[in-house]
Amino acid sequence: MATCLPSTLDLGMVPLGETNSIVMEKPRVHTELDDIDSLAHTYRARLVRFVTYSTGDPDLAETIAQDTLLRAYNGRETFRGECSINTWLTGIAVNVTRDHLRTERYKFWKQVKTRGIDVQEVASFLAADASSPEDHVLAREKVKRVSQVLETLSHNQRTVFLLKFSEDLSVNEISEVLGMSINTVRTHIHRALKVMRSELGAEI
Amino acid sequence: MKPVTSEHLSEEALDDVLIGLGSPEAEAHLAVCELCRHQIKGFQSGVGAFNQASLAWSESKPRTSLQLPAAKAGPAWIPQLTWAMGAVVLLLIGASVWNHNPAVVPENPAVALVQADSETQIAEDNDLLKSINAALSESEASPVQQYGLSDQPRPHRRARRESRSR
Repeated sequence: MATCLPSTLDLGMVPLGETNSIVMEKPRVHTELDDIDSLAHTYRARLVRFVTYSTGDPDLAETIAQDTLLRAYNGRETFRGECSINTWLTGIAVNVTRDHLRTERYKFWKQVKTRGIDVQEVASFLAADASSPEDHVLAREKVKRVSQVLETLSHNQRTVFLLKFSEDLSVNEISEVLGMSINTVRTHIHRALKVMRSELGAEI
Repeated sequence: MKPVTSEHLSEEALDDVLIGLGSPEAEAHLAVCELCRHQIKGFQSGVGAFNQASLAWSESKPRTSLQLPAAKAGPAWIPQLTWAMGAVVLLLIGASVWNHNPAVVPENPAVALVQADSETQIAEDNDLLKSINAALSESEASPVQQYGLSDQPRPHRRARRESRSR
């Protein structure tokens, strides 16, 4: 299986296993990776969202997103375009997050800190579009409910769910990014969907 | 294959459709079953709303400017070379201090001039010190002499009484 994930060694991260090895064959051409401002403008918000919901820590998300973008920029020579930049960045973010969550300092502050995701605030950002006020209220309620249910999932289920339904990664890509077998990824997705279905019922 | 109930898609079959791994049978069923299609659309609209709102929320978060390294670092051996050169310079300075001989007259005119000035200064200082010593050694009236005191040892106490009784 061809892989597009960054080498953890190239990016100065802790090796996580065989899934992070890279096959680099094609020469790299000039891409948006060469402009870090453009890179941040395009992908920062997605990274912040993914890490926020994956870890449940909005403050950490900003730090991880920045670290991810810097590592991606510094290691851009290793990107060979075998997957989308978003998938590549998400893979880096997963590794950076995993490294960060291992640190004792984070464990300490996690115990101290109580601030989580404000689902009410997140729901308020839903654009009104052309829907009726009633539909908009219902949609905002769905946003809140999905956010709340996500928090009840296990870390793996939540991460897999986000990668699949928010970051739009394929099952194969999720398998690569997380270093899990495809069957394990599918199992996590099924369990996450089952919880969603049981918690949300007819709402979703 | 995927378990499809006689009437509607099973949960597992629905999940497979949602993750993009739906079987042709499931896809065929969705084409004709409004209820199953409604379930799929309900999930997609809910998650879609969540994605839209959460992304807008993330975009609203204040962005910190990324601090790139000032310049790309040179070859890895440059820091070691710098340290080695520094060590050599320190050794040279140490050796020169160790071997320093003040009696050697420097060839540098500026250094010679400074040294000549120093010798002249030393001579002047010596003259000054000599004059001070001479002034101090001149016969100045000693308090002993001034007040007629004798520096001879005092006479015996008995002799003193005798002299008083006289």
